[in-house]
Amino acid sequence: MKKLKYIFWTVAFVVLYVAASAQQQRFPKPEFESGYEQPTTITPEPRALSLEYFDVLVLLVVLSLASWLVLKKRSRQGVLWLSVFTLIYFGFYRDGCICSIGAIQNVTLSFFDPAYAISLTALLFFLLPLAFTLFFGRTFCAGACPLGAIQDLIIIKPISLPKWLNKTLGLIPYIYLSLAVLFAATGTDFIICRYDPFVGIFRMEAKFHMAVLGVSFLLMGMFVARPYCRFFCPYGVLLSWMSRFSKWHLSITPSACIQCKLCTNSCPFDAIDYPTNEKEVVKSGLGPKRFLVYAVLIPVWVAAGVFVGERTHTWLSKANPDVYLAELLISNPEIKNDPDNIDVQTFLASGKTMEPLVEEAKIIRGKFYIGSMIAGGFLGLVIGMTLLNTIVFRKRQDYLPHKGNCFSCARCVDYCPVEK
Amino acid sequence: MKNKGIIIFLLLLVVVIVAVLVVDFISDRPDRSNPNPFAYNVEEFKNVAPELILYKESKNFRIGFEEPVAVAIQNNKLYIAGDKELKVVDLSGKLLANFPLPEKPLAVEVFQHEIFVAVKNKILMFDETGNALSEWPVPGNNSLITAVAADNNNVFVADAGMRKVIRYSKNGEMLGEFDGKAEEGALHGFIVPSPCFDLDINDQEELWVVNPGLHALENYTYDGQLRTYWKSTGVNLEGFSGCCNPSHFTFLSDGRYVTSEKGLVRIKTYKRSGEFEGVVAAPAKFVDEGRAPDVAADSNDNIYALDFDKKIIRVFEPK
Repeated sequence: MKKLKYIFWTVAFVVLYVAASAQQQRFPKPEFESGYEQPTTITPEPRALSLEYFDVLVLLVVLSLASWLVLKKRSRQGVLWLSVFTLIYFGFYRDGCICSIGAIQNVTLSFFDPAYAISLTALLFFLLPLAFTLFFGRTFCAGACPLGAIQDLIIIKPISLPKWLNKTLGLIPYIYLSLAVLFAATGTDFIICRYDPFVGIFRMEAKFHMAVLGVSFLLMGMFVARPYCRFFCPYGVLLSWMSRFSKWHLSITPSACIQCKLCTNSCPFDAIDYPTNEKEVVKSGLGPKRFLVYAVLIPVWVAAGVFVGERTHTWLSKANPDVYLAELLISNPEIKNDPDNIDVQTFLASGKTMEPLVEEAKIIRGKFYIGSMIAGGFLGLVIGMTLLNTIVFRKRQDYLPHKGNCFSCARCVDYCPVEK
Repeated sequence: MKNKGIIIFLLLLVVVIVAVLVVDFISDRPDRSNPNPFAYNVEEFKNVAPELILYKESKNFRIGFEEPVAVAIQNNKLYIAGDKELKVVDLSGKLLANFPLPEKPLAVEVFQHEIFVAVKNKILMFDETGNALSEWPVPGNNSLITAVAADNNNVFVADAGMRKVIRYSKNGEMLGEFDGKAEEGALHGFIVPSPCFDLDINDQEELWVVNPGLHALENYTYDGQLRTYWKSTGVNLEGFSGCCNPSHFTFLSDGRYVTSEKGLVRIKTYKRSGEFEGVVAAPAKFVDEGRAPDVAADSNDNIYALDFDKKIIRVFEPK
């Protein structure tokens, strides 16, 4: 039976690969003999559809394997080797594209731009990890994300961050997510891809400043484990939400916790919640009064966020090239005569006049007006809820992984002496 | 403080990360854009070493067309189509005859004493004095005829719109068509991204068709079987560059090729084997980014180039 399975998968792989290899270049590549430097593209070269589906299949297999290794096998070693595979396949071989994190933008754009059709691959890359997380926790982060893998492998001496700092920095992914959705919805930019610190490393052709960004994150990751995943990743926000409701999640101990505390320092991500001391909580004065104040403040935070969004929408909309160009040409019309200004010259060469450009810019700014207020309101809500969470008392008797923040890397299970 | 060194290091990294993000975000704006760093300078390819130029321009003459379209040569006469007219001039440029056409012409071919003019969705056949002999339709909603070639019994029509070559008898009976697809994996079909799709028949009665997307000249049997081909890609002198070249070609008396390119406008000759031979007219002779001249050659291997931008016939003689 095993042999049959092996033959089936081998044949499937060969068929897919051969079909893809049969594709041929439509045009001969330009031949440059003068040492011309070709511009690097944001996305890698298009891939045969069959290979794209093969990538989805690989993701599905890796997610299944990661979930099995974490929940059933409880093997840190297995997760580690799986993440090495992920780094090689989805990172270096697939050039870090398409990734589930960036797929947020494709999904967003497909909702807001009727002319944009999201590919099935992008949709599945977005949905599959979320679906798996809803059932098994963040096993995607553990073994299927190349960005997570590259950071996970270089953790040397992780330091524990104070809780307040973890909470404060933990707001950045929400800001990043809001901006990414806002920019994608308005057709402005795919900022998640643009500021992906590792994609240039995967492709080995990063611009200098992006290489600096990637290396900085990696250096930081030696001491602050997975800084991008914890304090930047916008997809992590969605995964965190899903994981909180996960049906089966990694547990530190396979059966009853014996409170040995061996696992307390095992998590480099500060994602283990300690048992709560009810007496201390009562003594600290955190009570219903404070809870009510914080709860009442939530609408205030939302209103403040909406206000800030409304105030900043003009500034934010300038990130859109059409808006910026329209403003620039109105305020500085002589720039039309600058032959070296590639953006202006491209606009002039397109034959478009100022009227449609200004009209388009107005429409985009209108979208930013609404979008910025929604984003601001959302961030206000997140801040309000985060503050409220700091004073909500949850009774815990054991050492438990924080379901939202835990990457299911299974480091902690190796520290637990309890056997099944 | 515990881990003081690490914390200072981390703070420095935070500053670097924030600085990179901010600088990148604000620097990529239209008023701060640098001149295109990836602009490809083709100026150097416009210069051709004098020893590689095998022809000299001996004369040129105006043809009086607002919109010249094509040139063909037969019996020491030039047949030039343009506007809604066909002009016959001798090799010195003297007008011998002209006759009106019912529609704007797209291509012209002369074989012995018969003139073939392609107009939209139609081939018109005339005798030397301009009497209509016959006409037949070329079907296809997207049809765009770019070249015609004829021999004793056949008329081949290059249809850039439908990306195929259609073979007719001289009575207008369709004898076949082909799209250049050879057996699996051997060669792509005709790739014609722009209306530059030429064909011609040489002294050996071989049908040659340009596959412009592949920068190739392909030889087909009359029933559309690929017999052989040669190709040359590159902006260097030996190659064809961009999309879609060679735009036009013709044969010299001994079967060598004369090719004409757009973009980097130049006329060159190639040996029968497809090996680069020399330059007829270097890019400096033409308008920058101009159209590729249509070319014809007489029995003395003088080359007549229809310069669409200057609306003249330019004559190039071997040096």
